Amino acid sequence: MSSAPGPPREPPRYLSRAEAEAMEKELLEDYRFGRQQLIEIWGHACAVAVTKAFPLPSLPRRQPTLLVACGPAQNGAIGLVCARHLRSFGYEPTIFYPKRSPEPLHRDFTTQCEKMDIPFLSYLPTEVQLIDDAYNAVVDAVLGAEGSEGPEPCAAILGTLRLLRIPIVSLDVPSGWAPGPASGDISPAVLVSLAAPQEVTRRFQGRRHFLAGRFVPEELQRKFGIGPRHYPGSDCVVAL
Amino acid sequence: MPGPRALLGLGLLAAAAAARAGGRCPERGWSWGRGWNRSWGRERGWNRSRGWERGRCLPRRAMHGPSAGPGPAGLRFLGQEEAQAIDQELFTEYKFSVDQLMELAGLSCATAIAKAYPPSSFTTSQPAVLVVCGPGNNGGDGLVCARHLKMFGYQPTVYYPKRSSKPLFEGLTTQCKKMDIPFLPEFPTEAAFIDELYGLVVDAIFGFSFTGAVREPFGSILSTLERVTVPIASIDIPSGWDVEKGKADGLQPDMLISLTAPKKAAMHFTGRYHFLGGRFVPPALQEKYALNLPAYPGTDCVLQLT
Repeated sequence: MSSAPGPPREPPRYLSRAEAEAMEKELLEDYRFGRQQLIEIWGHACAVAVTKAFPLPSLPRRQPTLLVACGPAQNGAIGLVCARHLRSFGYEPTIFYPKRSPEPLHRDFTTQCEKMDIPFLSYLPTEVQLIDDAYNAVVDAVLGAEGSEGPEPCAAILGTLRLLRIPIVSLDVPSGWAPGPASGDISPAVLVSLAAPQEVTRRFQGRRHFLAGRFVPEELQRKFGIGPRHYPGSDCVVAL
Repeated sequence: MPGPRALLGLGLLAAAAAARAGGRCPERGWSWGRGWNRSWGRERGWNRSRGWERGRCLPRRAMHGPSAGPGPAGLRFLGQEEAQAIDQELFTEYKFSVDQLMELAGLSCATAIAKAYPPSSFTTSQPAVLVVCGPGNNGGDGLVCARHLKMFGYQPTVYYPKRSSKPLFEGLTTQCKKMDIPFLPEFPTEAAFIDELYGLVVDAIFGFSFTGAVREPFGSILSTLERVTVPIASIDIPSGWDVEKGKADGLQPDMLISLTAPKKAAMHFTGRYHFLGGRFVPPALQEKYALNLPAYPGTDCVLQLT
């Protein structure tokens, strides 16, 4: 927590999904960021946000365990990187990654986690009490901005997430959230928006909302009307 | 209702996680990561009273010889070959990419600089920093560092005379340019010009692979830098130094940011600030090489050694 009052917190501008995709495209094509570089930056920032939302000394369980649920696409890859950084920060993540992407990049992220001695569950228990008892929180890196429930086993994971009592941290967009009326949505306690919050997360009502957009060049922030925004010190995330 | 065995499985999961915090013992050769790809709740057959609790099995320090140096007790200073071997292992065994590690390394350097030389401490009107990038990976670290310095509120300028044509480096250069970080066409001819314009110089010329003679233009650059009076922050190895023996009449930086683990040259470092950065070394690799790295504070990506 910063000790001095910072500049007044402006409400964030929300990007539509098309704008978010356009921004990512510009980062990759015009700014020549590498995709692996971006995923690393995002995953690291998400891990930092998790530590701010759930500092080690504040965890209710004796062990600092976290469950990281990773989907098959980019959001899942960000989850893998996030898990790895959480491990190096002293947490004990366990990954559930049932539908693995065949992409070499994602396979490398998986290997890096395995080699950090992070366990991978072979299935997620449907008995929700087991998860509530074993972990302090769940990191939702299942679907992100992809919206609808997605193929199995994502739908089943979401079914379980809906019933959890322990807090959920969603990366970018809470899995399953789609434009239109909210129905059967999961209710994360914490949201970590990546470059900018997406429109569909406007209805987020959890207790903490972080933005992990420090790496976005100022010119690009201005172009999309999302900044520049003040980040404390050398932090890569800011609480909104 | 799941039986006690399933719940026990969960309890064991938590215990295993605790044990894992101690790191993997190379002598036992167990691999927790793979072992857990089994059915949830199946009894593992081990119990809490074995050595899997917190606390590690003792690494065989003798096998790595007397290379402890100044700094936290037991922290090892690496020889050049060891440093190269660890690097190789990170890429081939652990499947990290240069992109990833360079991003984390450059971020460490910028963060260390922000801690030791905050923008408010500069006597120049802007917190202007000159980042001198060499032809290899050390230069790449410098490019990443420059970009993060910009985000932290500094005004970096880059000099990058021998540019790698690899896509990674072209990408990093473009990222800097698109963030309005100027690239100098020529190196300032006099140390006095550097002192006038910049409050800090980042030396990202040569790293731990450096060997042999210094090729131009870097010989002249280093001669100029040796006469500069503003502080110099060197990334990993003060450029021009032998990676193990140092160089008594060479560059004398004020700050050194050792990446991964300090190299033997760091034992000859006499500047004010020695930071450790590159917080990405997996526990198993730390154990294998008995690095004895001290704990990084919180989520910081740097640790101040002196």
